[in-house]
Amino acid sequence: MNTPLYILIQLAAALLLAPLVNGVIKKVKAFSQKRQGPPLQQMYLDLYKLLQKDTVVSETASWVYHFAPYLNFVTALLAFLFFPVTFFQQTISFGGDIILAVYLLGLGRFFMALGGLDTGSTFGGMGASREMMISALIEPALLVSLLTLGLMSGSTSVESIMSVNLQGSPLSTNPFALLILIALFIILLAETARIPVDDPSTHLELTMVHEAMLLEYSGRHLALMEYAAVIKQLLFITILANFFFPLEPALASPLPALLLGLIVYVLKVLIIAVLVAVTEISTVKLRFFSIPNLAAISFVLSFLGFMQFFIIGR
Amino acid sequence: MNFLFMTTLVLYICAAVLPLILLKQQRVHNLCSNILQAAASCSAALLAFSRLNNAGAAVELMNIASPIPYLTLTLKLDKLSAFFLFCLGLLSLAVSIYSIGYMKHYFGRLNTGLFSCFVNVFILSMFFVLTAADLVTFLIAWELMSLVSYALVVFETNEPENSKAGLLYIIMTHLGTALLIIAFMLIYVNTGSLEIANASELSAGIKNILFVLFLLGFGVKAGIIPLHVWLPYAHPVAPSNISALMSGIMIKTAVYGLLRFLLVVLDASASWWGLVILVLGAVAAVLGIAFALIENNYKRLLAYSSIENIGIILLGLGVALYAQAGGHQETAALALIASLFHVFNHTLFKGALFLGAGSLHQALHTKDIEKLGGLMKKMPVTGTFMLLAALSISALPPFNGFVSEWLTIQSLFQFLNVSSTGAKLLGMLAAAALALAGGLAAACFVKFIGISFLGLPRSEEARIAREAPVTMLAGMGMLVLPCLFLGIFPRHIAGLLDGINQELLQVSVFPLIKGSVIFLYYPVQISGTALAPVFALMGGLILYLIIFTVIHLLYPHPADRIYKTWDCGFGGLNSRMQYTATGFSKPLRIVFRGLYRPKRELQYTEGPSPYYPGDPRYIVSTEPVFEKYIYQPLAGLVTRWARRSRLWIQTGSVHIYLIYIFAVLIILLVYNWVLGLH
Amino acid sequence: MESFLELLSISLLIAAFGLTATKRIRSYISVFQLQSLLLAAATMAIGIYNLQAEGVMDILFLAVVIFILKGLVIPRLLRNTYTKVEYTVEKDFFINIPSAIMISAALVILTYFTIHSLNGSLSAQTKFYLVNALSVVLIGLFFMISRKKAIGQIVGFLVLENGLFATALFSANGMPVIVDLGILVDLLTAVMIMGMLVFRINETFDSINVDRLKNLRG
Repeated sequence: MNTPLYILIQLAAALLLAPLVNGVIKKVKAFSQKRQGPPLQQMYLDLYKLLQKDTVVSETASWVYHFAPYLNFVTALLAFLFFPVTFFQQTISFGGDIILAVYLLGLGRFFMALGGLDTGSTFGGMGASREMMISALIEPALLVSLLTLGLMSGSTSVESIMSVNLQGSPLSTNPFALLILIALFIILLAETARIPVDDPSTHLELTMVHEAMLLEYSGRHLALMEYAAVIKQLLFITILANFFFPLEPALASPLPALLLGLIVYVLKVLIIAVLVAVTEISTVKLRFFSIPNLAAISFVLSFLGFMQFFIIGR
Repeated sequence: MNFLFMTTLVLYICAAVLPLILLKQQRVHNLCSNILQAAASCSAALLAFSRLNNAGAAVELMNIASPIPYLTLTLKLDKLSAFFLFCLGLLSLAVSIYSIGYMKHYFGRLNTGLFSCFVNVFILSMFFVLTAADLVTFLIAWELMSLVSYALVVFETNEPENSKAGLLYIIMTHLGTALLIIAFMLIYVNTGSLEIANASELSAGIKNILFVLFLLGFGVKAGIIPLHVWLPYAHPVAPSNISALMSGIMIKTAVYGLLRFLLVVLDASASWWGLVILVLGAVAAVLGIAFALIENNYKRLLAYSSIENIGIILLGLGVALYAQAGGHQETAALALIASLFHVFNHTLFKGALFLGAGSLHQALHTKDIEKLGGLMKKMPVTGTFMLLAALSISALPPFNGFVSEWLTIQSLFQFLNVSSTGAKLLGMLAAAALALAGGLAAACFVKFIGISFLGLPRSEEARIAREAPVTMLAGMGMLVLPCLFLGIFPRHIAGLLDGINQELLQVSVFPLIKGSVIFLYYPVQISGTALAPVFALMGGLILYLIIFTVIHLLYPHPADRIYKTWDCGFGGLNSRMQYTATGFSKPLRIVFRGLYRPKRELQYTEGPSPYYPGDPRYIVSTEPVFEKYIYQPLAGLVTRWARRSRLWIQTGSVHIYLIYIFAVLIILLVYNWVLGLH
Repeated sequence: MESFLELLSISLLIAAFGLTATKRIRSYISVFQLQSLLLAAATMAIGIYNLQAEGVMDILFLAVVIFILKGLVIPRLLRNTYTKVEYTVEKDFFINIPSAIMISAALVILTYFTIHSLNGSLSAQTKFYLVNALSVVLIGLFFMISRKKAIGQIVGFLVLENGLFATALFSANGMPVIVDLGILVDLLTAVMIMGMLVFRINETFDSINVDRLKNLRG
């Protein structure tokens, strides 16, 4: 009984909330620039329109090109199913743990990069090359952060991490989780092509990374790719929101508790989205070869977090 | 059981002798020999599989006592041997089928009869290495394996590159063998037995010396950094079916040796051994794939990637040794499963990749990635198989590489829980190294697949390339499809590996690896976390179907308009405008410039005037760091020393040489006399 | 209370890492300012705690002084010096940033092992504080080594001092107020004098690169 409900809620959250988060980020950025900015629902409209449009496919492209958008979208969605949006629900492990979720995203990325190379366009290759570099450099920090979170609860399954967090936010019981939080925040920016790493709104060949890979995509393929990107963004925001700021509504009856939990979740996500937007406003895009600095900082923070875990050892 | 062994032996010998008899009929002997080899491999795999499935003590396969003292030939098959033998059987089966088609392009050029004979002897020697029950047999088989593989590496003698690579290989491998001989003599002197059996009564000092000797001796064969220099030269120049065998199983015999001698013979008695292996594994994993990434010769790229995978295997092995020494047997068992699982996986996908590389080479006659491109359309099956193998070697779900990587991460996780503080830091660094290696591997194989199979063809050969013959595809398919199968149903193999645990460590983690018995749902579960690739795969498939139907319902006639790739409005996009392999790896080449030390040079040819230079030429090169900073100075030192010493050792006077012999005799006599005094 | 202090001590460490990660002089002055404010907050927290427990005001008083001196006055002085010096953007560090960060992390690990090998009656809590605070000292020192510009050296020195103060504060609730005040005043004077020196260096060499001082060798 619980499982279908869980899957429904997760899917609904991913599909409905993810574009909104993007809208909020854009709105905040526009506000800081004294513009009105696109309306919050813009991304939904874009996606709808793209789905309706014809697709143009390069004559060079092979089946990989056609398959990549679907795979990318499915892996993002599947990975999102691993991270429950509210604590109220019984988490289902969905046949894996955090590591599987991360590697699923890796699978999507692998095909996205191949899709970029498949058309024989220079931009695609450039984007693929850069994307793979960024992801390779950020990977150690990601694994160390996740393993440390796992060590706090004794297992790498999402469920046990969540249930430990229910007893109290890791930030209050283990202050060094702050290090991991910051590390994960940097990872969020890097993985979702946000400003210090990549500028989502640029199409300048010298700077674009994620967009360069999608340059040849159009119509429903493009819609799926864009959708997958925002779902991935929501996934990382959810990790931050639910692993570090668990807020459990204490209501006895199940339905109001669930609803309240969802509302709290949406609020948390929006707050983090605003934070991301503020970071985008207040920083500039880094020179491409400064990204290793960012990766190094993120890795060192997560590693120190892991070390502090021993010193106090809770 | 012995029947199967005899069948295997006889079939291999037939397969080796037959081509020598039918030397002239290349077509006939190639077919016959490979079919016999395939049958022999089937029988070997069956032998191993039945041993793996049954409980009980080791089975003696052969015992020939010769009148010469110390020279006995004993072969035994326990579960550890059986597992490696299974890998060998499976790989050589695929290789033999592949070779039926592959060897055709050597007809008339090379003596394929001798070649087939060598291949079978090579496989047989590995068989003996894996089942040897005493030190002498092991050594003979080991040496035979090294020599035959040398002969196979340099088989295409008309190319100078080959003999150079072969020379390097044989020097390095004999260095390793020398260390092994010292180690074996130490064991014999201290235990008085030539049997490969538990020798835990040795003193700690001798054990430590033995550990170092074994690590270096087997390390050369396994290609751990910095002993790897031969590997990226020898593997690419060998014919591809040999590269597949060498990379798929020969370097694993070294892993087998390490396991056999460190875990069984020496009983993993010091915990620092595990840490040393852990660190070496992490270094090999990161540096191996880092060198693979900048390589544009695809066979060398695969060779470097083998170093990375050996590193991952060693990570598991290190954890196993450390945990076993500290008495945490369950962690040790888990790590051993992870390590052996990766051995098996690497046999499959690296075999497949090398076979695919052979198909590419046969179709295009080049080993340069920059000359490929667009092959997914010309060679769709090869391309798809290569893509699948690349996905599994990049450890992506739902392929087997992911399962073993997951198990390795889990065993590192357990390691973090049981180890001492300093070891914990190393363990986490090793985990980070594993993650970095994973990321780089993905980048490396996106480059390999993306540049060689996608996009526009970059050369005339690539434009006219044709699909490989069916036998070659079948050989590859036999290795690739199990990758997917094992990635989805990992429990079978985990169960088999657990049998090895029971035999080696007297502990079973299978109760920890829980799962319901429903046919499709096979999770591997460890301390509260589980992995059920089937479930995730089903979820993915269902989502895919839903999305596909929803999209096609929303917009029922999606007409894909086929059009040219956007060319920025200049018109005439050609293959030279594509991203190149060098360009692809450039960002990482710059990030790790401390490691690669790239040199960039821009040359102009003389033009009509200084203001109008002629054709520019841009040269990028990277330095082979280890050769330049370790081996070349070392070699220089030795040469210099030899040059100087020959003046006073090798004087050319016969009398001096006689004095040497005389002095040695006297010293031996005195030594004997001193011994007699006690 | 304790976890709040732990949080602050970690933040001090993060700020030190932020310092190694920054490239521009203006931004590392800001990071130093941030760290000083964090230190002031920690002092304030301990001060309030002491006030409640023992009724002593002096640590609270110290917190205010730190806030004013290190949080406001010294950064302003540094900024003034910086704006007065004609400054061209050039490479400011000997060691590139990722390596510097890795070395700093290694320093923390070293401190950790050193502190944990101490045989004393230190509680795990204190050891934790000590590791963080001493790491800040070492990172400050390393920062001084790794930067070429004179202002970098001043900031490194100030961060080092922050670390020392944090060490005393967290492990023994601070030194006697007089000592602390003395140090703080010294610091102020030191910054002023160094600011003047930077001026002189700039006048003589047209740059604030400390490298150039090599030219003074006879």
